[in-house]
Amino acid sequence: MDILRRNNVKTMGSGSRAMVFAHGFGCDQNMWRLVWPAFADGYRIVLFDHVGCGGSELSAYNPQKYASLDGYTDDIIAICRELGIVDGVFVGHSVSAMIGAIASRKAPDIFADLVMIGPSPRYIDDGEYIGGFSEGQIHELLDFLDANHMGWSQAMAPVIMGNPDRPELGEELTNSFCRTDPEIAKKFARVTFLSDNRNDLPAVKARCLVLQCSEDIIAPQAVGEYVAKQLPNSQFIILNATGHCPNLSAPEETISAMKAFLEGPPD
Amino acid sequence: MEFRADEVDDLEDLFDNAPCGYIAAGADGRITKVNSTFCKWLGREKSTFIGHRFQDFLNIAGKIYYETHFAPLMRMQGYFNEVALDLVRDDGATLPVLVNAIERRDDAGNLRFIRITIFNASDRRRYERELLEARRAAEQANTELKELNRTLERRIAEAVEARIKSEQALHQSQKMEAVGQLTGGIAHDFNNMLAVVLSSLSLLEKRLANGEDVARFIAAAREGANRAADLTRRLLAYSRQQTLAPQPLNANQMVADMSELLRRTLGETVRLESVLAGGLWQIHADRNLLESAILNLAINARDAMPEGGRLTIETANCHLDETYSAEQAILPGQYVMVAVTDTGSGMPPEVMTKAFEPFFTTKGPGKGTGLGLSQVFGFVKQSGGHIKIYSEVGHGTTMKIYLPRLHQTAVAPKPLLIRSDVARTVSHEVILLVEDDAQVLSITAQMLHDLGYEVIEARNAEEALSALAAYPEIRLLFTDVVMPGMNGRRLADEARQRRPDLKVLFTTGYARNAIVHNGVLDPEVNLLQKPASAEMLAIKLREVLDGAP
Repeated sequence: MDILRRNNVKTMGSGSRAMVFAHGFGCDQNMWRLVWPAFADGYRIVLFDHVGCGGSELSAYNPQKYASLDGYTDDIIAICRELGIVDGVFVGHSVSAMIGAIASRKAPDIFADLVMIGPSPRYIDDGEYIGGFSEGQIHELLDFLDANHMGWSQAMAPVIMGNPDRPELGEELTNSFCRTDPEIAKKFARVTFLSDNRNDLPAVKARCLVLQCSEDIIAPQAVGEYVAKQLPNSQFIILNATGHCPNLSAPEETISAMKAFLEGPPD
Repeated sequence: MEFRADEVDDLEDLFDNAPCGYIAAGADGRITKVNSTFCKWLGREKSTFIGHRFQDFLNIAGKIYYETHFAPLMRMQGYFNEVALDLVRDDGATLPVLVNAIERRDDAGNLRFIRITIFNASDRRRYERELLEARRAAEQANTELKELNRTLERRIAEAVEARIKSEQALHQSQKMEAVGQLTGGIAHDFNNMLAVVLSSLSLLEKRLANGEDVARFIAAAREGANRAADLTRRLLAYSRQQTLAPQPLNANQMVADMSELLRRTLGETVRLESVLAGGLWQIHADRNLLESAILNLAINARDAMPEGGRLTIETANCHLDETYSAEQAILPGQYVMVAVTDTGSGMPPEVMTKAFEPFFTTKGPGKGTGLGLSQVFGFVKQSGGHIKIYSEVGHGTTMKIYLPRLHQTAVAPKPLLIRSDVARTVSHEVILLVEDDAQVLSITAQMLHDLGYEVIEARNAEEALSALAAYPEIRLLFTDVVMPGMNGRRLADEARQRRPDLKVLFTTGYARNAIVHNGVLDPEVNLLQKPASAEMLAIKLREVLDGAP
């Protein structure tokens, strides 16, 4: 199997140190379009899509493998091994921040620095731990996905679904970015929102930057603080940006926070 | 653009009361303006929206998807269209909506505000659910139908297989029954005949010791042996292994020639009628056996009419078509039919199906052999023909024999002249007799001596060839066909190589061998069927010795 084609891997930039960007649940590598160019001069930029998202090979989707975040983690490790990446920078958004943490535990030599944007090790509240959602709310989400009504499918249905032989139709679709296979997205949501990776955090040896948005209902501030606290070597920064996607809504603020972390003195 | 006050009122009214919800939000996503329609839908005051974000009014799934999908989408392409979401009313109920959103930017490209338009999708969502339910039901029905088809196909296949198996089992058991009946019948009849022969021999032995007259017992023993020979001939006929000497025949002529014999056989009470077709085709069949078959049918017909009646012999040209031929497992084409019809008691179906089985008889003990019809059946089949019974109880029976049409012009065979005195001809010609069975060799040699021939005996082909070299006076090679080592046919070929003028006469008890193929003699071959009487042997020997080399 061609791993680079499977995950629609793109490499750019002129630096020698690799910076790998991993998108979260709900989009694809387009997520990083306003961020990665700022690092193209100093880094070897690596963009990719998780299997089931964007331009990845849908046929490579294996429900068993991707039933936990480990499947996605193994893909990232395989991509990095293929590209010969050592001591790189990992930039993960949302659920991919946790995927980066697991990758760092499994293959510590690949990444020396982790940038986590809106991370959450567990979305459901658990005793003292505040995840931001009750168990009932997460099940309401999963039930909504299972209902699979047409407006949802129409909004997110990818080109690949209906007209594999006429890709130009995709461009005319209502929403042409972040195409996703609704069935795979449903399973990805289940894996993401039922995950619990709190135990992975203390094992991360890399330097970490946790970027926390204001008013992020997906990953509330208490969660970001918890992550930063559990990581052995981390910095915690609260952005002015609101919502869950500062890489799109506030790219400048995101870039400068990242540069400050990467260029600052190692502590 | 300047608006008059009444125009402004009009636009305000349109904004507030349009049949869709309108929301304007600032660059930070916070709501600055909302119309009355939207407020009514959610059951909230306008003021409760201001300063909040649109996603705050979505259900939990909507909130998550808005943040993870639609907010990024709008950032990237500046709008999103027709996204299906659920809003939460003030009373906790949900309202299904379709949402469009677009970013408004100034000339410098700075984001001024976001316009969100909301359509009530309650009806549409219901249709969608019904549609999805209908599709699911259709898919399930389709799946069930496919499964049903598969099951049905499998069940049919199983039923067919079971049927075939049970038919095979039935066929096998019927076959075994027939074989049992055949074996039992043969054993029974043979025992009777052997009893006659053995008891005659023992009586003979006693009478001879006393010097009494023994001619009666010799005759009885011969009678018993002859009947045994007749039985084997009939069995061979049924098993289609008798030797056929087919010749071109006109069935009309043959039936006419038989009329006197038939009248005598049928007796006074049965009237004989012939319905002979004009322009009847020639057939190619063994005349003696066909006559015997017709006679057989006539005797059965007679026995079915104890009170008298009418027997009709009919001939006709027939074409058996593909369908009928396939049903009856015969070749389609032109046939000559010879039908024998009686006005007798007829046969029930269960008798009809067994009528051709050997030793099956409806006649009383001692009256029928049970071999007559099976012999006819064997002969007809061996001749490439077909036989069919039509019968109705109380009305009578028709037996139809179909024999293949002969397409070549027939040449009437020369009648065989048998001189009654040949048997007694005394000659001193030398015959080389080859026979692997010592007893048969000895008896046959004795018969030849009695006929006045000189005999040189050989027990196999090797001995025969040595004798041939040693005795140049040998005129005729009289050899068995089936022998261990070199068979009679090869021996004859070898002998002819050395002695081209040598006459050859074969003898065999079994027809399927080197000189008889499919029951038909090779041309130019002289054969004496075993067992043969001294008379037959004498006639055949003279025929061969006096014939062309």
